Parts: sequence; structure tokens; C-alpha cells
Amino acid sequence: MKNRLKVLRAERDWSQQDLAERLEVSRQSVNAIETGKYDPSLPLAFRIADLFDMRIEEIFLRD
Amino acid sequence: MPQTAAKIETDFAGRQPAVWAIAFAAAMAAIAYCEHRGLLGGWRSLPFVAAATLLLVPLTKAANNRQAAAGALSSATRRYNRRMLIWSLGYVLCLGIAMTVRNYLHPQGALLWGIAFLPSAPMIFFVWTLARYVVEEEDEYLRYRQTSAALIGLALVLLAGTLWGFLETFGVVPHVPAWWVVPVWAIGLGLGQMIMASAERRAGRT
Repeated sequence: MKNRLKVLRAERDWSQQDLAERLEVSRQSVNAIETGKYDPSLPLAFRIADLFDMRIEEIFLRD
Repeated sequence: MPQTAAKIETDFAGRQPAVWAIAFAAAMAAIAYCEHRGLLGGWRSLPFVAAATLLLVPLTKAANNRQAAAGALSSATRRYNRRMLIWSLGYVLCLGIAMTVRNYLHPQGALLWGIAFLPSAPMIFFVWTLARYVVEEEDEYLRYRQTSAALIGLALVLLAGTLWGFLETFGVVPHVPAWWVVPVWAIGLGLGQMIMASAERRAGRT
């Protein structure tokens, strides 16, 4: 699944570590999600959406 | 952290965990070779095995630092690494006690059963450690990563065990004790982690 996480993070000038701390996950998790290596669970997807104040489908896109 | 302290930390555990793992494997292989040649054997091997096992301490430290540098060291991972180290040391201790009792007391009956069971007892802690990690790990990606690597280890055990079992049944290879399942699983776990790390690096480049 594609996502806009890297762009959204860059718009806020956050590093992967910054985003990881805000989501309370490891930096490796953020990297894996950003690169499309791992699709987050629904609860984590909601946390990401809440953090960016967006809907899930605005961040995660169908292939 | 002061620069000097940081440098010391890096110097000590900045070495790749693989370096310590290779040193440990080489030491164990050397001991096995000496036993094969009759230079060591039984309880005489124990001090060497114990010394080789101590290499797991810097290996664990290096693994912790490597995971921290990769942004993958959760508190659950740290506890898992510490418990695995305790298990390894406990295993060698129990094995040493069992072999010493067998060689000096030549027990029979219940005591023989007891010392034969003793080296397997730490496996209860080992299995508990695996289960606790899955329960305690709050980072879903790290949990996915570790369970995937463990499944690769399991796959290797099943494949190697079945293959060797049939080769043994048909008399083309020698007998191998069943306790080899854990070392084979650990090799598979390590391979699984390497495969996943490689996939992450590839994904990071795209």
C-alpha cells in the first residue's frame, strides 16, 4: 500500500525519529511504513491519521 | 553523553554483532574439533565451553547497540536480549552440573533421570522468553519482524530435521542428537533477521 507519510513528515520538517516519538513507535517502524515495507494495523493507522489531523485514506492510498 | 564516553561505548560494542557471533561459532567449532580428535571430551571440555559462552555477553551488548543505532531497540527487545543471555549462561551451567555429576557420581535411577533432564530445564525459560516478548512488545513492526525471523528459524528446523531424519533412516548419514534443534533454530533466526534487514535496506533505496 502506498502512503504519503514521507511527504507529510517533510512538510512539518520532522525527522523519522521525531515522527516515531510522536507515534510512540520505533524509528525502524516509521521507516518500514514509509518505504511500503510494512502496512500498519488499523489502530496505528488511526494514530497516524490523528497526528496529521487527516483521514486515513488521505494518507494511505490503494496500489 | 560526553564524547569520550560515547567513543568508549562505540569502541566496545561498535563492532558488528556478527563479529562476536563468528567468534562464538569459531570457538565452539574448535572445541568440537578437539573433542573429535580426542584432545577434549566430557567434563574436560566444560571450561572451554564456559569461556566460549562468555562471548555471548559482548555479543548481546553489540546487538543492543546495533539495534539502538537502527532505531529498533524497544524496552521489550532489551529485556528479550537480556533474558536470552541469562538462558544461554544457565544452559551452560546446567549442562556443566549434569556432566560433572554423571562423570564423578555415575548416578543411576532417579538421579540419572534428574541430571539428564537438567540441561533441558532452561528451555522452559527460553520458551517463556519467546512468549513474553510477543506479549510485551508494544511496537507492532518490531513484533512482526521478530516473529517472522522466528518462523524462518522454525522452517529451517522442520526442513533440516525432516531431511536429516530420512537420511538417517536410510543409513546414509550418522545419528545426530535431537538437542541440535535449538542451535539450528537459532541459526535460522539469525538468517531470518539478516533477510529482513536486507529487505529493509532494499526498500530504503527505492
